[in-house]
Amino acid sequence: MSGTARQFCELATQLVTESRRSTATDTLLKYNDVLVRQIVREQRQLEALIQGAMERLVPEDGDGDGDDDGGLELQVTPDVILYQTAILRNKRCLLAYHQHRLERLKDLYWSVGGALPLLLAAPTADAAGAPGAPAGGDVRARLSPHEVDFLRAYNDALLEFRAGVLETEELDLFAPIARPPRDLHVLVRVVRDCGVIQTEVGAIDFRRGQRFLVRRADVEHLIVQGYLEEV
Amino acid sequence: MDLDDDPGPTNAKVDIVSQELAEETPFQQLLRHWMNERHAPDILHAQEGLLGRLLDHIKKQTDDVQLLRADPDTSEDEHFRIMLVQTEIERVKFIIRSYVRTRLHKIEKYARYIVATPEMHERLTQAELDHARHYATLTETHFTRAVLQGLPDEQRSLDDQVPFLPPMLSQPDKTRAVFAHALVSCPPVHLPDGSVMEMTRGQISLTPYHVVEQLLMRGEVELV
Repeated sequence: MSGTARQFCELATQLVTESRRSTATDTLLKYNDVLVRQIVREQRQLEALIQGAMERLVPEDGDGDGDDDGGLELQVTPDVILYQTAILRNKRCLLAYHQHRLERLKDLYWSVGGALPLLLAAPTADAAGAPGAPAGGDVRARLSPHEVDFLRAYNDALLEFRAGVLETEELDLFAPIARPPRDLHVLVRVVRDCGVIQTEVGAIDFRRGQRFLVRRADVEHLIVQGYLEEV
Repeated sequence: MDLDDDPGPTNAKVDIVSQELAEETPFQQLLRHWMNERHAPDILHAQEGLLGRLLDHIKKQTDDVQLLRADPDTSEDEHFRIMLVQTEIERVKFIIRSYVRTRLHKIEKYARYIVATPEMHERLTQAELDHARHYATLTETHFTRAVLQGLPDEQRSLDDQVPFLPPMLSQPDKTRAVFAHALVSCPPVHLPDGSVMEMTRGQISLTPYHVVEQLLMRGEVELV
């Protein structure tokens, strides 16, 4: 707080505004490490302020615990309440920001059909050239290392869940659930090479630019991941 | 729907409907549970047995279809029917997938609440409960690493109970409005303002979820 005429929680408001902007534009913004660090620093300063205020309040109470104002209720001065409110607000804003990002990451994860490598892949010329491809590639650059860890762990948790709940191979949990299937077969155009895939009518080598009429269930995951495009 | 002026057909209809209810096919049951699950703010009881039966059935049908397709004696007409069966299988799978995913979404949303509330445990399958625990740990770890470990010790708790602030444990909002369709004549329920509402069979009401929660659990209403 020293030097700058900044109010408490002003940074936290900026952080939450960023979340709102992310929702409004439906994009994942870059993890704002600088701002998060600044708020954490503000929290430490506030904690120091509150400790100081508590010590002035009850000089004989050595520990001066900021949270424990139950027994000291009558003596609490407005400054302590002010600091306490600021601390709580900052903390909530920080957590809300992170929670919001987790939700967005999960949406992204599901939108590519749980293909984590695709999501975290480094940007390649191939992906950039294909307009139909999901915006993988640069996703990774916008994540904090903890978020990458989270996605990996989330992926593992889901694979474990799938193994537990659906013993049969019949059901693909990651297939899209937006629209019920109308047809058994689907005409697809190959957007990106995806090698030889086993289908009902035998192995097909999908090459960019070709068109095939194939069984939907066989290639569903490739459509979701942006290798194929429905015509 | 409204046949009040003619008692004869109404009675006949009652019989048909109650029969229908008793002889609901597994797939119709699934559809009902799927719709309920999609509309309810809370997590409903898991339908593990039903799901298992349907999956077995799908597997059997798929095998049969494979067998018939491979058989050279299958006629053109039968091939057409096989195609219909296959499409139907795909559509049933779609519903199951959507149902599982809906539950999964709610479980993740309220993971920490579920873990902390023993009453919720019996509504979930073992796999779902494991996932809830897993996910709750996952988010807590993430918050701790990303935020809390940087804060002073006094500020690290993840469930502060502060007056005038919303709790940190998000819970299902049972006051959310739902459309309930009475499948049978329901016993009276109390509305939040103290008055009593009695739904007759076939009636559709817009009420807060907690009003019809018990009726829904007993299968007397469905959400539409």
